[in-house]
Amino acid sequence: MAQIPNVKHSKSILWAGIFLVVGIYLFAQRPTPLVDSESAGRVIPVEKMFRIVAAENNAARELYTKNIVGYGMKVGLGFSEKWREADVAAGPLPALFLREAATSIQKSRIPLGLFLGSDFPIARSNNFGSAQAERFKMMRASSKPQFFYSPDIKLQVAMFADLAVAPGCVTCHNEHPKSPKVDWKLGDIMGATTWSYPKDKVTLEEMVQIISAYRGGVVDAYEAYLAKAAKFSKPPEVGDRWPEDGYFLPSKDVFVKEFERRASGNTISLILQANSLLKVPD
Amino acid sequence: MTREGKLKAAYYFFGTVVALLGFATTMMADWQHIYAKGPANTGHAKLTCVECHVESPGTVRQQLQAKAHFWLGMRNTDVEFGHAKVGNQQCDACHSRDQDSHPVHRFLEPRFKEARAELGVQLCVSCHREHIGVRATLPETACSFCHNDLKLKADPIDVPHHVLIEVNNWASCLGCHDYHNNHRRTVQKSVKQAYSPSVIKAYMDGGPSPYGTEKKYPTKEGK
Ligand code: HEC
Ligand code: HEC
Ligand code: HEC
Ligand code: HEC
Ligand code: HEC
Ligand code: HEC
Repeated sequence: MAQIPNVKHSKSILWAGIFLVVGIYLFAQRPTPLVDSESAGRVIPVEKMFRIVAAENNAARELYTKNIVGYGMKVGLGFSEKWREADVAAGPLPALFLREAATSIQKSRIPLGLFLGSDFPIARSNNFGSAQAERFKMMRASSKPQFFYSPDIKLQVAMFADLAVAPGCVTCHNEHPKSPKVDWKLGDIMGATTWSYPKDKVTLEEMVQIISAYRGGVVDAYEAYLAKAAKFSKPPEVGDRWPEDGYFLPSKDVFVKEFERRASGNTISLILQANSLLKVPD
Repeated sequence: MTREGKLKAAYYFFGTVVALLGFATTMMADWQHIYAKGPANTGHAKLTCVECHVESPGTVRQQLQAKAHFWLGMRNTDVEFGHAKVGNQQCDACHSRDQDSHPVHRFLEPRFKEARAELGVQLCVSCHREHIGVRATLPETACSFCHNDLKLKADPIDVPHHVLIEVNNWASCLGCHDYHNNHRRTVQKSVKQAYSPSVIKAYMDGGPSPYGTEKKYPTKEGK
């Protein structure tokens, strides 16, 4: 084989050639690009997204606690930690209703995490560890939601106060044998919901998917309760009426309609606000 | 040809043969098992590879382009090459349960940071590493990461939980509790009735289940 006169020179020609070919292959004569989930349209900062779902959650939590659990207990419906067990004729407590919804959201493939915790928890497993306890203190002091980034899981995190919005919150916790605090009052910050999401902004389309995943979670949780209630030895009548009217439960559709009536107005105006503030220039 | 040239030609020839052989292997009907990293885990011998190893979206060329765009800042999200990482989603397709006392997603909360770092509790494959021919792997002290302050009011067992914890008897826990609480059974109340650590070890390695075979949420056979 003949000696190559200038090795350095020919090497750079070779590299230039490679870059040219790769460039043509990937850019000039390019294939249809893979969809970039973040490039299209308008974006909403993740804090706004969290505020929107947290408001939805407040509406669902208040509806379930006041109108199902609160009135329900008065007419003889039971609610318990052990509601999943076949021989316990009871529905989910508000905290477990929320956990039920959170589990369903997880199954929807929308990577939205939702947890409920406290610094004075009934269930030890709901106790805030160090990272959240500190944020929770800041929240108690400022009564403002907290937003931060959790680097090990690469998740954006938000914490919102969980308020004693119904008399049931206070009496049930104060009377619970495992409760470490027995002087809760109406309006107290009893704990916090912690939310997580992998991105720092979402598109409008993602926002809609997130809301529908959250609402799907609420529907699933309520359906799980109805399925359990159907197995009580004395099943409540399911239809248009609420526990306020007697030993009844609203059907899934009636419950969802009321929830949406309470949540939607607020959600839409929050989205419109977020969206007009942040138009991406074309 | 010089000696150097001959050597080069031989290398090229050899390289081509190896490449062709490799290519042919991937084309063979039963390529899967030749390729596998190790023996299937307990219960997984009959699964096809694609139940867990799904293709990333797009052609190789599209993936290359998207990667290049990402590196050049022309795209906001990165993409995966070839096969996507095996995630909880794949396992969930067959092992989904409405109730799990330790659901992976619960541990994405910031406060479980240490348990995530040490045990990877947020991912199925941390404890069920595939292709090593076992059922599960878990350090003996695993429960301590989250239950070290456990104290039951009116503890139902003869040696109370806080005593077991004081003496660091973490090996006892799985003797009475199955991790996912997916077996239909009653939890023992006496430490003497707890399965011994060696029985648990054998189960983790793929042996028979001391918790029985009846499951609350049975496994689905396919997606
Ligand atoms: C009928 C009883 C009952 C009612 C009503 C109730 N809770 Fe609870 N709550 C519980 C129980 C029991 C738990 C523990 C559940 C578990 O095992 O995780 C709990 C859990 C919580 C937690 C998580 C921390 C902890 O204590 O474990 C918060 C925060 C909380 N509840 C706030 C509220 C608020 C706010 C309301 C009203 C909107 C409310 N609860 C209504 C019984 C109740
Ligand atoms: C039950 C799910 C499952 C099935 C079925 C499965 N794998 Fe895997 N495989 C995994 C997981 C999880 C890993 C990552 C394991 C690790 O990192 O230790 C992996 C890793 C691999 C790797 C190493 C490359 C890498 O990404 O780390 C190869 C090669 C592989 N699998 C081939 C196969 C083949 C071939 C089959 C079919 C015979 C198969 N696998 C079936 C879950 C599965
Ligand atoms: C295509 C369906 C399928 C997928 C996907 C799948 N498995 Fe399985 N798995 C099975 C079947 C079938 C069995 C055997 C039946 C059984 O034991 O329940 C099994 C058994 C197991 C067992 C042993 C169960 C026992 O009781 O001995 C474990 C642990 C397990 N799988 C974990 C996983 C993990 C982790 C993943 C994800 C990496 C996964 N599986 C993905 C179908 C699947
Ligand atoms: C922190 C470790 C850990 C993680 C994470 C984990 N497991 Fe397990 N898993 C275990 C242990 C320990 C056992 C054995 C005890 C038992 O049977 O519950 C087990 C048993 C199982 C079994 C057999 C018994 C049963 O429940 O049917 C299956 C199937 C299983 N795991 C699937 C999964 C899946 C799917 C995931 C992810 C969603 C997962 N595991 C995550 C530790 C873990
Ligand atoms: C990453 C943290 C973590 C690890 C590690 C962990 N647990 Fe848990 N465990 C929890 C949480 C959180 C709960 C509460 C679940 C709930 O309230 O639904 C729990 C609940 C339980 C329960 C009560 C289940 C029920 O249905 O009420 C038992 C029993 C238990 N764990 C045993 C164990 C054993 C045994 C181990 C070790 C093999 C272990 N845990 C490892 C976090 C953990
Ligand atoms: C001799 C059997 C036995 C052993 C050993 C044992 N437990 Fe338990 N454990 C029980 C029983 C019985 C209960 C209460 C019944 C139930 O709710 O399952 C319980 C309850 C629990 C709970 C639920 C507590 C609650 O507030 O509801 C957790 C968490 C738990 N055990 C963790 C552990 C850990 C961690 C270990 C190891 C240090 C351990 N257990 C060892 C039998 C045992």
